[in-house]
Amino acid sequence: MTTLLLAAIPLWGILSTEQFTRILESLERNLLTPIPLCFVLGIVCTRIHGGIKIPKELYYSIAIFLLMSIGFMGGHELAHEYEAHGVSTIWKPALATLFLGCLTPITSYVVLRYVGGLSIADSAGIAAHYGSTSAVTYAVANSFVEQTQHPANSFLPTLVTILECPGIAIALLIGAALSARERAAKAAQTGRPAKESKLGEALYEVITGQSIMLMAGLLAIGFISTMFMDPKGFQPFYDFFQSKGMLFRGVLCIFLLEMGLVAGEKLGDLLKVGPFLVAFGVLMPLAHGFLAAYLGHLAGLNLGGCTVFAAIVSSASYIAAPPAVRLTLPEANPTLSITAALAITFPFNIAFGIPIYYEMAKWIGAQ
Amino acid sequence: MQLYPLKLVTVVGESVIMEDIAEEGAKLGATGYTITEVNGHGSRSARNVASTTGARTAKVEFVVPGDVAVKILTHISHQYFDDYAVIAWLSDVQVVRGQQYVRD
Repeated sequence: MTTLLLAAIPLWGILSTEQFTRILESLERNLLTPIPLCFVLGIVCTRIHGGIKIPKELYYSIAIFLLMSIGFMGGHELAHEYEAHGVSTIWKPALATLFLGCLTPITSYVVLRYVGGLSIADSAGIAAHYGSTSAVTYAVANSFVEQTQHPANSFLPTLVTILECPGIAIALLIGAALSARERAAKAAQTGRPAKESKLGEALYEVITGQSIMLMAGLLAIGFISTMFMDPKGFQPFYDFFQSKGMLFRGVLCIFLLEMGLVAGEKLGDLLKVGPFLVAFGVLMPLAHGFLAAYLGHLAGLNLGGCTVFAAIVSSASYIAAPPAVRLTLPEANPTLSITAALAITFPFNIAFGIPIYYEMAKWIGAQ
Repeated sequence: MQLYPLKLVTVVGESVIMEDIAEEGAKLGATGYTITEVNGHGSRSARNVASTTGARTAKVEFVVPGDVAVKILTHISHQYFDDYAVIAWLSDVQVVRGQQYVRD
């Protein structure tokens, strides 16, 4: 907590009272809406041992719908963007995404290893989570900017898929390279053969995992069908996945309720992970988010686009990254990375991060 | 009915490594395996990640001759016991059609 307060002091100096009031207003506009409130309900319910239980199959079904819907609508909008401007508006944000996807695991690793003094495996494991992204954070950020009447650029879902892989790959490569020596030394000490690295297998599973396959697959399907299908025939598919945003936002509430139930369980682990990781889980996303909003603005994203871009770059993966890290860096303690990603950064982004990124993007000059 | 004495190797642990263990067991001489998703709590359950995040607990079972059982258990204890939440045990079983479980 002290670290957090100390970190807030320089912010105080930069922000004028008027800007500070605006941030507070944005926070209020975001917090008092059904999506974050459902998340809070989930947390409260777990803490008081309440009776809400979301069936696992429903949760998986909703995850499939959300990923398919994000992909399909993204592909559809991408086709319109492509017809209107070609690739001229897309290549710069795509390049910025790739750059940030490679940079964020490195900055995370350096901070965790040299400021936090964590082990190589733990630092690389957590960095893999923060290098990747969370599709649900994307969905919530997108709903937020739509509510503020500043919808994001249409091709943001493409950026989400680009961002998913490189972060995990780079962090795991750093971890595998640096811990190979330690593993060899341990093998010599115990006289057993050194454990083989499962890096290739883990990366293959990330790339062919459900999030990428569904999102990238539906992106392609949405793109192709918009380009080649008769608009009348296309309409029913559009209506189902778009459904005036109703179906999407409704099921997002159920999804966030379940996320709240899980995060509530993980709150107990906050004491175990210590103050450094709690501060890291809040400050690292803010730093990455600011950088993303700035680069996004330079790459030509609009206000909503910069906000969503900052949210996805700053978010941490908790679906694709954990099994990949478990396979490649088994010495890393999964409690640290899961707690940081799911019980600190995710709630922070949902409640405070997104409106702060929105104000950051405005301050940078995005429109 | 003719029954054949064989060994049942049961391994319970993080599902992320269970398919690998099953395949490695097959390489070491098992002619087949069964994987089941299970729930539970153990001394390292803090390592277990909530079901929502995709990592669960699974059980792999092999019915094998005694020498193969020892090979599988040795391999698992060297390769996985240090870093993963995983337990393994051996039991005596009587099976019908015993020749199905022995590699030629």
